[in-house]
Amino acid sequence: MSTFASTIPKIRDALQATFRSGLTRPLPWRQHQLYQLARMAQNERELICDALQKDLGKPKTEVLVNEVGSIVERAVKCAKQLPEWAKTEYPDVPDRRKSWRPTIYKAPKGTALIISPWNYPMILSFQPLMGAIAAGCTAILKPSELLPTFSQLLEEIVPKYLDPNAYRVVNGAVPETTKLLELQWDHIFYTGNGKVARIVASAAAKHLTPLTLELGGKSPVIIDSAYDIDLAAKRILWGKCNNAGQICVAPDYVLVQRDKQDELVKAFQKHYNAFFPKGALDSPLFGSIVSDSHYKRLTSLLSRTKGEVVLQGRTDAARRRLEPTIVKNVVDGDSLLEEEIFGPILPIVPVDSLQQAINFVNARSHPLVLYAFSENESLKQQLVSETQSGGIVFNDTFQQLAVSELPFTGVGESGYGYQFMKHTYDTFTQLRSSIDMPKEAEADLAMRYPPHSEEAVRALTAAVYKPIPASRL
Amino acid sequence: MATPISTIPKSVAKIRDALRATFRSGITRPIAWRQHQLYQLARMAQNERELICDALKKDLGKPKTEVLMAEVGCIIERSVKSAEQLPEWAKTEYPDVADWQKPWKPTIYKAPRGTALIISPWNYPMVLTFQPLIGAIAAGCTAVLKPSELVPSFSQLLEEIVPKYLDPNMYRVVNGAVPETSKLLELQWDHIFYTGNGRVARIIASAAAKHLTPLTLELGGKSPVIIDSAYDIDLAAKRILWGKCNNAGQICVAPDYVLVQRDKQDELVKAFRKHYNAFFPKGALDSPSFGSIVSDVHHKRLTSLLSRTKGEVVLQGRADVTRRRLEPTIVKDVADGDSLLEEELFGPILPIVPVDSLNEAIDFVNARSHPLVLYAFSDKESVKQQLVSETQSGGIAFNDTFQHLAVNELPFAGVGESGYGNQVMKYTYDTFTQLRSSIDMPKEAEPYLGIRYPPHSEEAVKALTATVYMTIPPSRL
Repeated sequence: MSTFASTIPKIRDALQATFRSGLTRPLPWRQHQLYQLARMAQNERELICDALQKDLGKPKTEVLVNEVGSIVERAVKCAKQLPEWAKTEYPDVPDRRKSWRPTIYKAPKGTALIISPWNYPMILSFQPLMGAIAAGCTAILKPSELLPTFSQLLEEIVPKYLDPNAYRVVNGAVPETTKLLELQWDHIFYTGNGKVARIVASAAAKHLTPLTLELGGKSPVIIDSAYDIDLAAKRILWGKCNNAGQICVAPDYVLVQRDKQDELVKAFQKHYNAFFPKGALDSPLFGSIVSDSHYKRLTSLLSRTKGEVVLQGRTDAARRRLEPTIVKNVVDGDSLLEEEIFGPILPIVPVDSLQQAINFVNARSHPLVLYAFSENESLKQQLVSETQSGGIVFNDTFQQLAVSELPFTGVGESGYGYQFMKHTYDTFTQLRSSIDMPKEAEADLAMRYPPHSEEAVRALTAAVYKPIPASRL
Repeated sequence: MATPISTIPKSVAKIRDALRATFRSGITRPIAWRQHQLYQLARMAQNERELICDALKKDLGKPKTEVLMAEVGCIIERSVKSAEQLPEWAKTEYPDVADWQKPWKPTIYKAPRGTALIISPWNYPMVLTFQPLIGAIAAGCTAVLKPSELVPSFSQLLEEIVPKYLDPNMYRVVNGAVPETSKLLELQWDHIFYTGNGRVARIIASAAAKHLTPLTLELGGKSPVIIDSAYDIDLAAKRILWGKCNNAGQICVAPDYVLVQRDKQDELVKAFRKHYNAFFPKGALDSPSFGSIVSDVHHKRLTSLLSRTKGEVVLQGRADVTRRRLEPTIVKDVADGDSLLEEELFGPILPIVPVDSLNEAIDFVNARSHPLVLYAFSDKESVKQQLVSETQSGGIAFNDTFQHLAVNELPFAGVGESGYGNQVMKYTYDTFTQLRSSIDMPKEAEPYLGIRYPPHSEEAVKALTATVYMTIPPSRL
């Protein structure tokens, strides 16, 4: 059920008023909200799993592990670490300025808008919200309309656990989202795709609203021939199968030495059979495609490929099921290289050298994550130096998300702004610098006032004449 | 001199492409190379200081001491310091993680964002052009500098001296006005750093939105001064007037207007007069220690605002239109709705707004856009705390004005209408740097990762979903 568009400005105003009232300032209050968020995820897990089963066909284990468990654990961790994050900082300064008491306060930005996508809706709604709560902001959550059951559930359970004066769920589609975007926010946190991100950024520009854009792209996998192909195939396939490939950090396509392609295909086949002895079509451990339109998009891309399908995934349009499908000998210009696949199709692009693989990646938009399988330290260094991506992960896929101390971000077309734990807290926090000039400093400050004596000018401009060190090239 | 319009589209895009190509070539990666560019920047400021002072004298009537101190000296000091601290900033980080994740070698690389566009204003053109550039150089980015067309001698000078010191394959100056800036904004950049006003900031943000370009917006606003009656009014007046006189009030952190207890207003005015006479015994009109207004347009704007005020002018600043001179002018009994409260003054006019309580002052400030800095003069810790808690501003400075900019270790930023994104020293470095997270999964981890693969045994499911059932601590409210 959509929120009436006309009530949206009122909701925003109410959240702003709550923010100004100071309700969110005390740390125990914020910690309580964080614990409540954890309790919500824990207590309502069955309803959440049911909703995501209904909307997405997401396997229960996946929901519990990646969505519910993450939120419970991280909300509790945030609450524990919050006092440390929120500490006022006293930077180390030269002696002559210590008496000025240079200080950095952590100030909440205000009222935030968090727009989340359909694929990992728990974590991508509540991970940003955790940071907003921790920072002392109020917030509106706008979950995806592609998940009607889940979005409706949020509207029911969120106010039972989180203070509705500070946090509200707003549902709807384009009209409601447009209304939200007409308003001024103190931060907008958007997770989704580049097309909509441009719309969000344009709307934000009118109000000078700061943004976080967590987008996607085609995350490449480069395989060094010397690496254990069998292990690489296992770790890549596992990453691809999560949510049937519908995740921003899914390994999108693989670049492998031409003469290793068939060995790789064989390894994929082997591990697929091990993961899904009866195939993925009816496996409760493999997700469905989110919608008919996305299902059609994927099957259409497949139908247009000029590559050779080597692992033929079975399909079921009625249930929107699509088994992992692997295509080899895919070349530049193929349908499978046009856009982020966001599905269980894995194109393999044969290359003849590492340099060719690097050039292939660099000819495209910066991905959210670059995966590479290699034990060669110089090769890893070369990839770090010669490519750009949000993250760069060696010898695995997807697992990097489990490290909550690592900032998660995109670059270029894959977005900007950081999240996870303290990084999300920082996103919703403004560093507010301060000094407190004692009266006693007046003697030291005297020379700044006009009229300037020659001595004063000399002292004030001393920095101009300081010797500059020699360059060491 | 603007780059000729007919060659703009190709030329500007070509410049950007060339800078991108050099970025990709990896020249900017080595720390020693970046340090060299930073030292070169310092050398440029040091060696060319006379030309710089002359250009700013010509364009702005800026006093030489002000240029040397606030602009040239500042750049030299911060370039050198940045070079010195760069190895520390650029260090790859290894965050502390749970034991079971340690073998994965969690790492945070510091990656340069790429090619940046730095657009700077006319008022503190050295520091506002080169302070962001220091961060871009340190981060390993390449950059285009677009200085303000309102300072033509200075912008032209930059076009001449910058390539003599900084590698022109990495750093370029592009001059011009609206057409050239529009062309620049049509292109994709890896970061745009804009210092200026809210109106143009919206144009820049809209252009950036088309390319998903991240931004830093260093804007302004009306920076209020709240004076607690119990504070030494004489000292407050001195420290406020000094801040206001810098560059004739044409600075984003100039104290814009004062809120003071009604019964202290006249004492404050007296103190302002006294210190004005001390600063400028013969008045500021012809003083080489006091700046001029940047343009005829701005001079007209200021005198027009003054002519429309309903407040009482208590320190009548003399004006000289030809030389664009305007002495400090103080107006008391200014009320909400006055011309002097409409927009950021950005000039040597100081309105005093009498209030009847601290809360009234706080409400007055909070009814307006978040300022770049809130100034407050008070000795009471509870008053300071209240201001920290109950207001929002980029910075909050107690018992002085302007001086907080001297502290290299404090991030400088706005909030709301005053902008976003931090600068100064490491904060500027961070602005142009992307944190690039990494793990490196050893083969030996495979037994521990075993439970993640389907099909999941009951034991695997239990282990994987353990966090769902973790104990949540009780709330302590």
